[in-house]
Amino acid sequence: MAAPTLDAVLTGLAQDEATGSLRVGKEGTVYYDHGRVSYVECAATPGVEGLLGASGRISANGVRHARQEAGPGGDGGALLVDKGVLSRGELEFCVLSATLDAAFFLLTPKTVRTRFKDGEAHWLGIHWFFDVPGLLRECARRRARLERAWPSSELDARPVTPLRRIPGSHALLSRLQWELLLAADSTATPVELARRLGRPAYSTLLAVRELAAAGLVVTAETAALPKRTPKPPPPPKPPPPPKRPTGPGRSTSELPQVNADATDVNLLLRLRDALEAL
Amino acid sequence: MIGIEDCLSEAMSIPGALGAILVDHTSGMAVAGKGIPDPGRAAAGLSEAYRATLHGIALASEETGFRIEDVIVTTGTAYHLVRPMEMMFDGPLLLCVRLDVERSNLALARRRLRTITDELVAS
Repeated sequence: MAAPTLDAVLTGLAQDEATGSLRVGKEGTVYYDHGRVSYVECAATPGVEGLLGASGRISANGVRHARQEAGPGGDGGALLVDKGVLSRGELEFCVLSATLDAAFFLLTPKTVRTRFKDGEAHWLGIHWFFDVPGLLRECARRRARLERAWPSSELDARPVTPLRRIPGSHALLSRLQWELLLAADSTATPVELARRLGRPAYSTLLAVRELAAAGLVVTAETAALPKRTPKPPPPPKPPPPPKRPTGPGRSTSELPQVNADATDVNLLLRLRDALEAL
Repeated sequence: MIGIEDCLSEAMSIPGALGAILVDHTSGMAVAGKGIPDPGRAAAGLSEAYRATLHGIALASEETGFRIEDVIVTTGTAYHLVRPMEMMFDGPLLLCVRLDVERSNLALARRRLRTITDELVAS
């Protein structure tokens, strides 16, 4: 008999109103409470511990202590709130973000070895719930959202390389994009950068795709053109002085109307440079 | 100190409130909602509206490093208030409230919304 798909296992446990932990291959764990998912962990994404550590609210050691203090079946999250590490709202959002992030990478349609441990709970306790269909729907929505930002997965697993020069005269960056561009060293992939920065891996993936859409990171398309040697741009030419007085009925402007898109101009510049380099 | 669900209940207790929703701006996901017919669509739309506002204001303003306190949109029948909350690692999280234009007081609603968001992230 063929092994059941992961979706079937997840749905089955929800129908059985199971409480415990489901180990999914070697990559992660899904925690259930009465058939609802309370937490998901994935090796590829930072968990609540990683997010908290990177935010500077608590050290890795502090997390370990809290975990020991909470003990098995305890409520480590409530303990952290009592200690003033974070507010209840922040804890809930943290659990929710980490769970959805892990689910996005862990709960892909596949057939994988799973092992269910009845009654095992996560040390943080229970702070947010997801029903299984809702969780799977959200994962699908997130995949669609990525496709809308930049319809190619070519950058998802490749090292992030910012372009040395941006197209156009300015760029608008989100906070995460700024951090990503600073941390990008042409060897780390988006998921590796996420771990390094302590940011959700999905947000990082999305930010990289948006950077690609804005033409700020190296993609297969930009890499195909030879690199331009960095040189200062030529000084702008002063407009020629008007030689003829503008007579009545003439256009006031002697210059032709510019109606080219800035991206077209950039493409032309790159083409020119490529031809010159031949 | 309040949690996510209490924060929505508090928002719905603002005089004239018709609906309230919490949106994760990065992913455009509806975290939780009350009185919102289609939270998924609402979250995506509000998230895009906030992004466009942020970009538009950044281009239109000389101010560097500004942050949006709230966004107010007035329609014929309602006020839409969007208040961003910076979370410690991601975000912002947007608290969005729709208010009946006849039954609400905009100044009061803004103050209440600020109090609620301060309580949500205060430890």
